Amino acid sequence: MTIAEEAAELRNPGLPGIAEFDTLIYGSPPLAYPAALSQYVIYNTPDPAYVTGRINVSAFANLGAATPWPFTNTNVPLNGHICIPRGSGPFALAVFAHGNHNPFENSTPGYLYLCQLLASHGIIAATIDVNFLNGFNFGENDARAIVQLEHLKQFRSWNGTAGHPLQGKVDLNRMLIVGHSRGGEAVGHASLFNRLAAIGPVILDGSAGLGPYRFGLSAAAAIAPTDRQFVPATGPTVVPDSYFIIHGSKDSDVFTFEGYHTYERAHAVDLANPTVSDGKFKAMLWVHKANHNQFNSVWAPETPPGVAMPRPSQEQIARVHLGALALAVLLDRHEYFAVLRDHAVATAWDPAATELVSQYQDPQRIFVQHNQEGLAPAVVSLPVDGTVAADGVVAARQLTALVGGAPTTTITLRLAWNSAGTRLLLQVDPATLPAERYKAMALRVGQSNEAANTANRDQDFTLEVSSGSRTAAFRASSLHRMLFPDPPPIGPAKIVMQTLRLPVARLVECGVDPNDLRSVALVFDQRQTGIVYTGDLQFTN
Amino acid sequence: MQLPEPPKIAAVEVVPAQPTEADRAAIAHMGVKQAYAVYVVKVRLKAKPPVTSMAWVLYVGDERVAKYWEYKDGIYFVVFDPQFFVTHKGKRLRFSQNDTEFFDTDMELAPAPSVAESSAIKLPLQADVLN
Repeated sequence: MTIAEEAAELRNPGLPGIAEFDTLIYGSPPLAYPAALSQYVIYNTPDPAYVTGRINVSAFANLGAATPWPFTNTNVPLNGHICIPRGSGPFALAVFAHGNHNPFENSTPGYLYLCQLLASHGIIAATIDVNFLNGFNFGENDARAIVQLEHLKQFRSWNGTAGHPLQGKVDLNRMLIVGHSRGGEAVGHASLFNRLAAIGPVILDGSAGLGPYRFGLSAAAAIAPTDRQFVPATGPTVVPDSYFIIHGSKDSDVFTFEGYHTYERAHAVDLANPTVSDGKFKAMLWVHKANHNQFNSVWAPETPPGVAMPRPSQEQIARVHLGALALAVLLDRHEYFAVLRDHAVATAWDPAATELVSQYQDPQRIFVQHNQEGLAPAVVSLPVDGTVAADGVVAARQLTALVGGAPTTTITLRLAWNSAGTRLLLQVDPATLPAERYKAMALRVGQSNEAANTANRDQDFTLEVSSGSRTAAFRASSLHRMLFPDPPPIGPAKIVMQTLRLPVARLVECGVDPNDLRSVALVFDQRQTGIVYTGDLQFTN
Repeated sequence: MQLPEPPKIAAVEVVPAQPTEADRAAIAHMGVKQAYAVYVVKVRLKAKPPVTSMAWVLYVGDERVAKYWEYKDGIYFVVFDPQFFVTHKGKRLRFSQNDTEFFDTDMELAPAPSVAESSAIKLPLQADVLN
């Protein structure tokens, strides 16, 4: 099926659904918010059925002493807004968490626009108060994760409480956690903590108030997240659940695309068992001209006027792509995975002329080349047997962080050429590559802003795939644009690779036999010079 | 837009205080022997940068301070083990945004006042130290 055919079968997931829903507030009254914190007084009058308790996060965080919170870290409130579809349910649940911001401004309502969308599709959606962790603090993102998990626990409690309006209405096996900014980092920690019995001295069995969790998380989604501000004792968090990330090129807060590191660590190849998959997907959307703050509807933009896209456009993109994610993972609308696999499916729904870069890794895949064996010359990755030959192209594995920021542990292959017609040739033993089992060949590749690439011009080359005596050639640009990096407002430009997906069915149409696939070549015949970076080459679904 | 500038430190002060209940659990978990006091390291800033999600990571020498918190004059962190001040005696406080590029502050970690176990009960609460 072509991209156009896939799109034609789908309704825009960013448009409201048909479910009616109610919006209400839950909270932990009474709290004597001082005048400076008047925006939080709304949580003193929650819906009577939705009065919550308090939790003790003192093992994880202090509260900023410069903000006059009317509680301490031993009894922080569980406040939030919920949109609840009408009907008997059970309904899937999505819970949004904001990030760091001026604590005197309530960040929580900023995702109501997304909650309302999801509720209209039959999903209970909440946005939670984590403002008490905001301020000029650092390292508190484990606490943000705990707060979000405790909110999920609150929903589980309501679901199991006889006579409560939510009794039996929450589908505890279909939950999506979404976080923005530091809250985006925290959803990764929450995904990890959800599986733990203890964190250091803190037992998560409920005996001391926190936990137990072990929710059925369908996915964790991060909007412009930070990374590694909190680092567990076991090392940087590797998100164990399916993972989605969205980030804007004009982000002037998290300006180094920190979450890309989280993305790379998640569901990475296991060198000892490269064919083993953990059964989870990951997907990424890089949005040219989106900034940081406009994903939250109450945060003023951090960019000067004219730098970023208009707020309604950015919210529309969030609606479309987070909507697709939610429909796919929470409502079993598997057809919406098409949007995650290839953002081109959403072209008609995104604002006109939006430039996007996307990556997708399916749980079902076999790597032909993942490049994680080390910095030695590139090889075909085991268990696929084969050879790599560079003809006129300089191929070098490197550890440079493509997106700036902290050092990376993920190796990419840099390919540089100075004349047209050079090529990188991967020859494989067809007996070791069961390409016929998969739906697509996927290559992650992106161009840099180095001088060999022409500014503001898409890069392009030809993919040649051969079986026996038959070779099929495809322009990379026929699969996707390979955008020139969008100039960032701060710091160096980001090299964000695009996943090019070439359907195996197209290979078959061109006479290539996937049972006898012999070689894949990147032929640099479309530009005289260029530099691209490749992440991996897979056969995948 | 310009890269953000690191905070400038006006003074560093170390104040012993009573451990909270959570502190005691963490201290026991870490196996620290001298568990009757904690040390609040107050880092007074000349000006507080705006609140953002990107953070200035604080280092003492080469050791990353895992967590710090805001108070009215700057930031503070809590040290459980007095050995920290021995290990890092004379070390500079540094800021980084990416754990790769560092900005020296020209300020050193102040020494910790000694606290006798017998007088620990008279130590102030952390909340009082921060007022």
